[in-house]
Amino acid sequence: MKGGLTRESMKRKGSPVLPDMRGYFGEFGGRFVSETLMSALLELEKSFRAAWREKAFRDEFRETLADYSGRPTPLYFAESLTRETGGAEIWLKREDLNHTGAHKITNAIGQALLARRMGKSRLIAETGAGQHGVATATVAARLGFECQIYMGSEDVRRQALNVFRMKLLGSSVCPVDTGGKTLKDAISEALRDWSRTVRTTHYLLGTAFGPHPFPLIVRSFQSVIGQEVRRQILAKKGRLPDMLVACVGGGSNAMGLFHPFIGDESVNMFGVEAGGRSITPGEHAARFAGGSIGVLQGTRTFVLQNPDGQIENTHSVSAGLDYSAVGPELAYYRETGRMTFDWVGDDEALEAFQRLSRTEGIIPALESSHAIAYGVRLARAMTPDQIVVINLSGRGDKDVMEVSRILESKGEVGS
Amino acid sequence: MTGRMGSGSIWRRGFSPPPLIPYLVAGDPDLETTADYLKMAAKKGVFAVELGIPFSDPTADGPVIQAASQRALRHETALESILGWLSGISPENLPSLYLMTYFNLFHHMGVERFCREAQRSGRIAGVVIPDLSFEDGAIYRPVFRAYGINLVGFVSPTTSPARARKIVRESRGFVYYVGLMGTTGSALTLTDETRRIVRDLRQWTSLPVCVGFGISSGAIASEILEFADGVIVGSRLVQDERDPDRWKKTFEEFVSSAGKGKG
Repeated sequence: MKGGLTRESMKRKGSPVLPDMRGYFGEFGGRFVSETLMSALLELEKSFRAAWREKAFRDEFRETLADYSGRPTPLYFAESLTRETGGAEIWLKREDLNHTGAHKITNAIGQALLARRMGKSRLIAETGAGQHGVATATVAARLGFECQIYMGSEDVRRQALNVFRMKLLGSSVCPVDTGGKTLKDAISEALRDWSRTVRTTHYLLGTAFGPHPFPLIVRSFQSVIGQEVRRQILAKKGRLPDMLVACVGGGSNAMGLFHPFIGDESVNMFGVEAGGRSITPGEHAARFAGGSIGVLQGTRTFVLQNPDGQIENTHSVSAGLDYSAVGPELAYYRETGRMTFDWVGDDEALEAFQRLSRTEGIIPALESSHAIAYGVRLARAMTPDQIVVINLSGRGDKDVMEVSRILESKGEVGS
Repeated sequence: MTGRMGSGSIWRRGFSPPPLIPYLVAGDPDLETTADYLKMAAKKGVFAVELGIPFSDPTADGPVIQAASQRALRHETALESILGWLSGISPENLPSLYLMTYFNLFHHMGVERFCREAQRSGRIAGVVIPDLSFEDGAIYRPVFRAYGINLVGFVSPTTSPARARKIVRESRGFVYYVGLMGTTGSALTLTDETRRIVRDLRQWTSLPVCVGFGISSGAIASEILEFADGVIVGSRLVQDERDPDRWKKTFEEFVSSAGKGKG
């Protein structure tokens, strides 16, 4: 395996091999699920580890990424944005140019190949913004799986275009009406489906979250992002970047970008959560700012919860970041001080959404707009010889209707 | 079988109980009604009651218990409040009690603190935690044991025999066999597989082996009691929780079916 992800190379860099055998990253992670799902998780872990060791499997994964999804995605120097910002060079990892418009397809391809290898005939998935749902529906169509997507009814409303895409691709979309009617509730419903159908069905979890081995699997597949960035920036600039910036919902695009650089001390990593309307309960999704350690949907991590331990609902303008808990590996690296986390609110994200469209001719996803906003903030405080790489995790076509609605209601329709 | 029920550490009265574990959601429709139901269950001398503490995200539960949990969350049903509330109920009006909820509530209160207060209350026989896996439970089992709180082990149709042996060995109070693949409230159809697995489990442990999930009628309950030590009835009773007359009627039907089943 290229790119420094093997057990040996991790040891060489002096980092522990994570997760441990029980699926923990330090004190975060684990497998907090019902006994009915345990056999599926144990089987999945075994199959994944075997497949990932096999050259034929990795080759098929890489070839599919290249020929079907268009990898490697470019690392693009955003010259106009850099000039307008004044400060460090801003580079964008163009995950938005993947087939289906976001980094999500990479994990979907990897897990679908794994599911086929395990002899499963049906895929289920949760989705927030709809990008992971579309990615799963896409690979299901290509590989001939039956497919069911769970999506909160609030997200069904604000991501109508993606709902239609999933149906067009032959999947059925089940709106979930419980709780806050967003991503958390979709995951609960997918877990319930899985406990009924576990013998024939693979749960294609879309982010570096949930019970072990999902955080490991998703991060392993998504690490191709950081591996490419490393090669690309070395080829273009002859050195590693100073800062990496990614938005954090569950954490798949962040772990994908960051993981291959964990051992490089000169590279700083910033994860950006959704600050929503304000950091008060129910108004945001900044788990590290407003949360505490808890157990939700299979994993021990930072969770937004009330004084009784009930999970709080969240708000973010971006459906993909609108979630009450965060991936356990990110919680671990925050605790060790290797990664830094901060948040960006709705208004600043909307501003970045428009700014990138105007300066670079690239309409970013609202999720990625959080990373753009924060990356610009960081770059401004840095010097022109420094390099910031921002993960542009998805494109914004899915968001234009919702943004237009919001701007109109504020009386700020773009002229 | 009566011997097994009697030898189970949760059974504390000197006569043969109906081998029934009703499940209630605390605070649905309100705590006064829950107290009435507990009293009725105590009077009938059921094996135990599983008292559900509502959690915002009950991933192992179907629509009936999800809805009841949402209703109950409007009342004073935090884990700590429930312990305080139970302490105010006289012991003769309480059956043997197992608190059932998701791990976050114990984790949030602190497992050791929960155990200390549960022990002090003298009202809690044990806990049933569907999302605390055997593996993740390893570090918590000694804490529950130190305070004499039974942590019930789950076995499901997908559990391998080798794994099931380990689980029943570490289980306390009773063994919870999840009779179907799915969430609570789905319909259970009895298969040879169910009979075979329960028979195996009973060979590996002296604890009562109780079957739960999908026990939707007295008829299924008595059929299961031909080979299992007890039945856990959840959604079917929770469905009637808001109407005390209906609940009482359904409950009594199950008590009488359970009695018949044991012949």
